[in-house]
This record gives sequence, C-alpha cells and structure tokens, in this order.
Amino acid sequence: MAAVPWAQWLRVRRGLCLLLTGRRAGLCGRAPSSRFYSGSAAVPEVEGAGATGTEEVVIPKKKTWDKVAVLQALASTVHRDATAAPYAFQDDPYLIPTSSMESHSFLLAKKSGENAAKFIINSYPKYFQKDIAEPHIPCFMPEYFEPQIEDISEAALQERIKLRKVKASVDMFDQLLQAGTTISLETTNSLLDLLCYYGNQEPSTNYNFQQREQAEELEEATEGSNEKPKKKAGHQLGVTWRAKNNAERIFALMPEKNAHSYCTMIRGMVKHRAPMQALNLYTELLNNRLRADVHTFNSLIEATAFVANEKLEEKWNNILDLLKQMVAQNVKPNLQTFNTILKCLRRFHAIGKLPALQTLREMKAIGIEPSLATYHYIIQLFYQHENPSKGSSLIIYDIMNELMGKKFSPKDPDDDMFFQSAMRVCSSLRDLELAYQVHDLLNTGDNRKFIGPDHRRNFYYSKFFGLLCLMEQIDVTLKWYKDLIPSVFFPHSQTLIDLLQALDVANRLELIPQIWKDSKEYGHTFRRDLKEEILMLMARDRHPPELQVAFADCAADIKSTYESQDARQTAPSWLASSLNHIAVLFLRAGRTQEAWKMLGLFRKHNKIPGNELLNEFMDSAKASGSPAQAIEIVKLAGAFSLPICESLTQRLMADFTLSQEQKEALGDLTALTSDSDTDSSSDSDVGEGK
Amino acid sequence: MAAARLSASLVLQPRARTLRAFSTSVSPATRSPRPSPSTTERTSRYGRPLRRKALPPRTEKMAVDQDWPSVYPVAAPFKPSAVPLPVRMGYPVKRGVPMAKEGNLELLKIPNFLHLTPVAIKRHCEALKDFCTEWPAALDSDEKCRKHFPIEIDTAGYVSAGPSVRNPKARVVTLRVKLSSLNLDDHAKKKLIKLVGDRYCKSTDVLTIKTDRCPLKRQNYDYAMYLLTVLYHESWKTEEWEKTKTEADMEEYVWKDSSSEKNILETLLQIKAAEKNLELSKEELLGTEEVEEYRKSVVSLKNEGDNENTLSQYKESVKRLLNLT
Repeated sequence: MAAVPWAQWLRVRRGLCLLLTGRRAGLCGRAPSSRFYSGSAAVPEVEGAGATGTEEVVIPKKKTWDKVAVLQALASTVHRDATAAPYAFQDDPYLIPTSSMESHSFLLAKKSGENAAKFIINSYPKYFQKDIAEPHIPCFMPEYFEPQIEDISEAALQERIKLRKVKASVDMFDQLLQAGTTISLETTNSLLDLLCYYGNQEPSTNYNFQQREQAEELEEATEGSNEKPKKKAGHQLGVTWRAKNNAERIFALMPEKNAHSYCTMIRGMVKHRAPMQALNLYTELLNNRLRADVHTFNSLIEATAFVANEKLEEKWNNILDLLKQMVAQNVKPNLQTFNTILKCLRRFHAIGKLPALQTLREMKAIGIEPSLATYHYIIQLFYQHENPSKGSSLIIYDIMNELMGKKFSPKDPDDDMFFQSAMRVCSSLRDLELAYQVHDLLNTGDNRKFIGPDHRRNFYYSKFFGLLCLMEQIDVTLKWYKDLIPSVFFPHSQTLIDLLQALDVANRLELIPQIWKDSKEYGHTFRRDLKEEILMLMARDRHPPELQVAFADCAADIKSTYESQDARQTAPSWLASSLNHIAVLFLRAGRTQEAWKMLGLFRKHNKIPGNELLNEFMDSAKASGSPAQAIEIVKLAGAFSLPICESLTQRLMADFTLSQEQKEALGDLTALTSDSDTDSSSDSDVGEGK
Repeated sequence: MAAARLSASLVLQPRARTLRAFSTSVSPATRSPRPSPSTTERTSRYGRPLRRKALPPRTEKMAVDQDWPSVYPVAAPFKPSAVPLPVRMGYPVKRGVPMAKEGNLELLKIPNFLHLTPVAIKRHCEALKDFCTEWPAALDSDEKCRKHFPIEIDTAGYVSAGPSVRNPKARVVTLRVKLSSLNLDDHAKKKLIKLVGDRYCKSTDVLTIKTDRCPLKRQNYDYAMYLLTVLYHESWKTEEWEKTKTEADMEEYVWKDSSSEKNILETLLQIKAAEKNLELSKEELLGTEEVEEYRKSVVSLKNEGDNENTLSQYKESVKRLLNLT
C-alpha cells in the first residue's frame, strides 16, 4: 500500500500573503565562516576586577539571523489544521463559507472593502496624514494620483508618464511639440513604453482581479477544446492595436529613433495582436542596422506563431530563422525565449513534439534551468488529445523523475498551470503512484505557491481525489477525505458520487449517512443526482436493522429537503425512483406510517410506483394483517393502470380474508381495470370482471 | 458579467446565484434576472430571505489525537467552536450552573494560553535550540558566574500589535553590581556609598543604577557604565574638604575622640582623684580592660541599636568599670 503522504503545509487560498515555512538560509549560525561577531550582550568586565580563574572562560560568538528566521522556526512546529477553514475567513460556524462560490465572494468582499478604503484615503489625503507607524510604512500613507506640475514642460510630461496617465501625457506631448520644444529621446521612449504597454488606452482602475481572470478563463477554454482550432476566439477580449493610433503617430514624429523605440513598438504590437506590423517593423529595424534585445525577440517569436494562413512547417522555419538572427546579433536567449517557443509549438499539435524536445535539450545545453511553465507546455503538447487507446507517451514519468524534490521559484507567469495539467494527465492515465509523486512535489518547500487560483486548485484536488476514490483502498481514501474536504476544496457532486461508489465497492455503505450529513454542510443539499445516488445505494439491498434505521433517518432527511425545495419552486423535483427508494427504506425500517404517506405523494406528483415497491407494501400489509391497506394498494395500482394490478389482485384474494363489501369494491375495481385494458374487447371484459 | 464569469469558471449546477453587490465593477445590467435560491439563504415564496443557518461547530470533526498546537498556533481569542472542552464560566443564578462556552463573554475577556500547552512549548524549544550557542563550560556554578561577570545588566523589550514597533519603556537599563567585587578600600567604599545614596542596598551589598534619561537603550547602557566608572574613580580620590568630616557625617559610630570617651575619661579621672590616685594617665586608663569592654559595648550599642544583648553587655561593662559588682 502506498504510504500516505499527508498534505502538510497546505497553504491558504487565493493570492493572500503566505507564511513562509521552514528555516531560511539566513540563519547563519552553523557555518563558522559566516558567523558575525557582534559586541556580545554578555557582560564586559570591570577594570580591576580581573577574571583570573584557573580555567579560561570562552564566550562563543553570537549567532545572527535575519528578521523573520525566528518566526519561521516557530512556524515549522505547527501544521495545517484539517478541520479549519483558511485563515482569511472568520473562524465562526456562522461565518465560514459553505461553497466555493461563497468563499470566492467573501474574499472578493474583503478585497473590495480594502479597495474602497484605499479609494477613500486617496481621494481625501489631507485627512489621513497622521503617521504613527514607526518605522515608516509608506503603503499606509495616501498616494497622490494627480499630477502636481501644471505648466507645460518636459518634467510635467515625465510626471504624467510616471503616474500612468495615458491621455494626459499624450496631450502634454502634443502641446510641447506645438510649443516647439524638443523632447529628449529618453522621455519619448518612456512615452512610447507607456503607450505600447497599455495599448493606447487608459489603464482601468479595476484592472486587478477582473480582467486577468477573464483572460485566463478564455485561454483555458481555447486550450480545452482542441477539436475545433479556436484561433480567433477570445481575441475580442482586451485591447487590439488599431492602425494609426497615438503610438504610431508619435513614432512617426520622432526625429531620431534608437533601438529601444523600435523594440518597444514591436513588443506593443505583438502584445495587442498586430503581428504582421510587428514583423514589418522588425525588418525596418534591421534595415536601420540596429539590434533588438532579447525581449523583442521573444515577442517576435510569438508574432510568427500568430500569423494566420501559414503552414506549420513554415512557421517553425521562421522561428528557426529568428533564432539564427538572434545568434548573429549576439543576443543571449533567456528562459522566456524557450518558454515562448514551447508555447507556440503547442499550437502545432502533433508535429510540435520533436521540436519541443529539441528545444528542451537546447535549453539545458545552454544552462538555463527550465521552470514549471516549461514542463507545463511539454505536458500540454504531448497529452493534448486524451485518447488512451492510441497509447500515451511516457514523458510524464521522465518529467516527474527529473522534478522530484526540486524547489521552484516563480519565473514565468504560466508556472501555476503545471500542477493542474500534471494531475489531469495522472487522472487520465489512472496512475495513483504518479499522482502521489505530483502531490509530493507540491508539498516540497514552497511549491504550494504554484497551485494557482481557486478554480485551478479545485480542479487539481477534484482530479486527485477522484483518482484516490478509484484506485486507492477505502481507509486511505477516507483519511484523505477527512483531510481535504472541506478545508482544502469544496467537492463537486460528481466527486461525492465517486466517493459513494468507492464505498459501495468496498462494502462500507454504513458511512453513507455521515457523507450525506457532511455534504449538506458544503452546499449539496439540493443536488438532485447526489441525493438520488445516495438513495439508490441505500435502498438497493437489505441490511441489518440498526443500519436500516440509520438509513431511514437519512431518507427522511432527504425527503424533507425535497419538500422544502418544492415549497420554493413551482416545478416539482421528485423523481419516481427517489420516491420508490424512500418508501422502501421506510418500510424496511418499520416506519410504516410514513411509508403509507409516501403513497399519497405518488399520487400527488403523478409518479408511478415500481413493482417491487408494491409487492413490499403488500408484504407489510399482510404482516400487519389489514386488508384495507391491501385494497388501498390495489386501488393505487388500478389508478395508474399498472399491469401488475392483476397479480396483486390475485394475491389479495389468496392471502387475505375479505368482507363482502370489500369483495364487491374489489370487483368494481378489477372491472374498471380490465375495462381499461387495451388487449381484450369490452364485452368480454365486462363478462370477466363479474 | 461577474455572475456569468463565475458560473463559467466554476463548475456549478445551473442554479447560479447572485453575488452580493461589491463595490467595484458589477454593473446593474449584468446581474442575473431573478434571485435564485441558495442552500443557506432560503427564500420563501414571499421573497424574504430566511436566516442563514450556522454550521455545526468543528469540534465534532476533531479527532481525539489531533495535533493541538496546529489548531491554536498563535495567541488567539477563545473560539468555542474550535475548543473541544466543555468549559463553563460565569456566576450561576440560583439553582443553576455557570454558563456554557457558546457566546460566553467571560471566556473571551480573560487571556487564554491555549497556544502554549506543554507540547507546544517543548516543540518551540526544540526549534529555537538552533539559534542558541552553547553555555561556556567554565561557568558551571553561580559563584563562578558572579566571579567572572560581576556586573549584571537588565533590559526589557516590548512587542505589541500595532503599526509601531517602538515603546518608550524599552530604553530603561538597570545595572547591578556587588561592591565586594569592586576594588575599594574603606574610605573609597564609604565615599561611594555616600555618593550613590539610595541606590545601595546594605543588606545585599548591591549597587543598582537605573538609567532612562537617554532616548535609546544603547545610550542608556553607555551612560550607566560611565556612571560606574566615574563613581569608582571619584571614590578613590580624596578631596581637600573631606578632612573636615565631622562626627555628624560618620556612617558608623567611632569611639575614639567621641563624647563617650571624654565622658568616661572624666568620670574615671574624677574617681581616681577622689581616691587620691593620680598616677594613671589617660592612655593607661584607656588601655585598661574594663575601658576596652566599655568601649566595645558602647560601640555595639550605638551601631546595632538596642537589644537584649547589647544592653546587658553595657550594663556589665559599666558595673565592672565602676566596680559595682
């Protein structure tokens, strides 16, 4: 059995400050070479006192450490509490979020409160001048967003650029030109930087969490659906580079341009999706015999991949050309270069595999350490089409072998997508050992930072837990369940259904009421498929009496949730199968009153009771010895015109002693049912019924 | 826009729910058209949202052998849902019991040390051992410590929650030293004691200098050491005006040249004169044993105060001196 790697150091959610764990290398007490002797707080001797002992008192040198080392050492003594919600939430049963949407909205509410406070402070800075923080904390003081310099000068232009006011700085630039002053090359370059970065639009104030998330969503949507190449989808989002906008105009107006200006323009064009223009500008750069820097080359590689209507081999050749030019211009590639190449190769699907491996080898040959994003792209490339029948590549095993025990630091914006894709591959390969390896990597050092935002973490853990339910022994799975849910992620109903099926396989159905109770806590009270699965599993077989009682309680609970849901919605949510199961469970536990009430519900919601159910009712009626109930059943069957009505009637006649009027009522009933029979003719029916 | 984005990103059942409006960017046009029911906010048919139900406290899920320092890693207020003990606190009404822990303000007011259980302290000590250096092997007893390091410095640091790390109380420095470890002769010691006044404790022979007049702890420490140095050197010097030390300035009673000596001499001379015995001179008189004893008893009486012993000693010596026994 695989050893259970406990999920330690599981960090808090959603982009909050982290408790750094482990002891830093700043604690330099060990190596004698790095000890710093400080004037020891040990006591100096008074002159004349004379420490003339027979032994010599050797005072060791004092150790020094950085400011947070003690806190980190103390933090290493505590672990994650598996029952607690993340620390950002108030630890009160009323205030803990019960679903991932709630937790998202709580955190957003907190953040929006902070933003509102910042807004107020920055709007009325004169009321917030008192500073009691010692030493001074600059981010607590109000910031000044309005430009102070009012006259038309280059300093004013620089100030506006620093404050990121796009329109104001362009206006100031025009005014300066009209006034005839020459503007230095650096200032113009910094103005071009500003314009190209923001794409000639003002930076929006709610830039922080809205737009970037949207960009990620659609990016994932495009990655996810691979069948139809969605090259154009998602491009409506964000800013596009319009021709003859301010940046180009200013660029044209510049009397002299240096390499920096060209580079900025190229990078701006590529960022805002104008690849052809970027490539044209690059040829112009070469014509002017200037050199581009490494960031520009990275953008150009991206541009060549974006160009439409070209075959993939041509694109790859173009990229290779660019690389050769890079070598010719003596520009050293960096990590971003290789990551960009791999990102572009992803779009090449199958033929990108070999170049990807070549790129990786080249990267290692140069000595650049690959980051997690690199491996993410490779995984995406090799495992794009999840089709196990074709045979999957084994590259994931090589990757994991290489990554074991390594600690990473953030180097690329896409670093946080690695774990999600790795777990996705593990899940599709159904390999639990590999999943444990990936999880171990996540828990090494500070790698927990790379789990990404909420939805990515949820995806990772859903897949992980799904794999555990499928492949791992039930005890271990239950331990993971207690550990992960709900303190790490809120499960989907599909995850819980997987867990229930695992319990079913391992024959541990007695835990079902506990699972139901837990799932009510995190918002699954009204998930129909989950409730049906639970009811089905409980009602399938007969169980020992105590268990039956527990199941009946659970069923009553589920019934009450159905009813409260009914009270709110006009469309009824009952299914015939759920009604069946609930009734059966009541009967088996001996709660016959409620079971009989269920029959009324059948009629009310117009659902048809199953055959076994009716038989069981008949059994219970026989056990309680009341023919009236038996007649009820037959009437019900007749009302629904069920074919079983015949056998029920016969059974009724055989098992029960009926009074005369009951027999007559029964006779009418059977007459009615046989009237409605489509097979026989009406005349013979009438004759038979009597 | 916000609600739609969230429902796209998170895999949800079709009942997406509205977010409560937050201040930044939700525009009215993009809110979903009707408020849909959520699990915890139950809306009745009449549109009034019912109360959100609280979860069961998480003490129910805690295992008996859980890691308690992880539940309370730092000083935190008492959380009844996180502490699995059935504590009660409060004054009971007549024929009642003290109040339970849920919603109990008394339990919140008092400081709790749930984060410092013995297990936690042991772990902290283990973790902090790496920051410590070894104790010098030669200093294995208190006397040796005092011998090698006679001066003791006391300082205090303060932490509090707040944006400022400064605390004006942290600048106080107290220096303690035993005068027996300083190289002082009799005169120097007496002069030093006179100079420091209250700061010397006679019973423990400890000089305590407490400085807080400088703004920084470092400066106060330097000032305290400076004071000690100055006192030492000054007490060794003898000034001109010290010769004019009168009896009123003496710290302890000295019998020589005192009024008691004069008195007893006069008395004895008168006795001897009455007995017509004028041979003995002053020095011989003073040298006799009875006078010695008398001197001792008077000195002890004056220095130590009145008690049984000294008084009886005085009585005996006077009787012997005056030949009364």
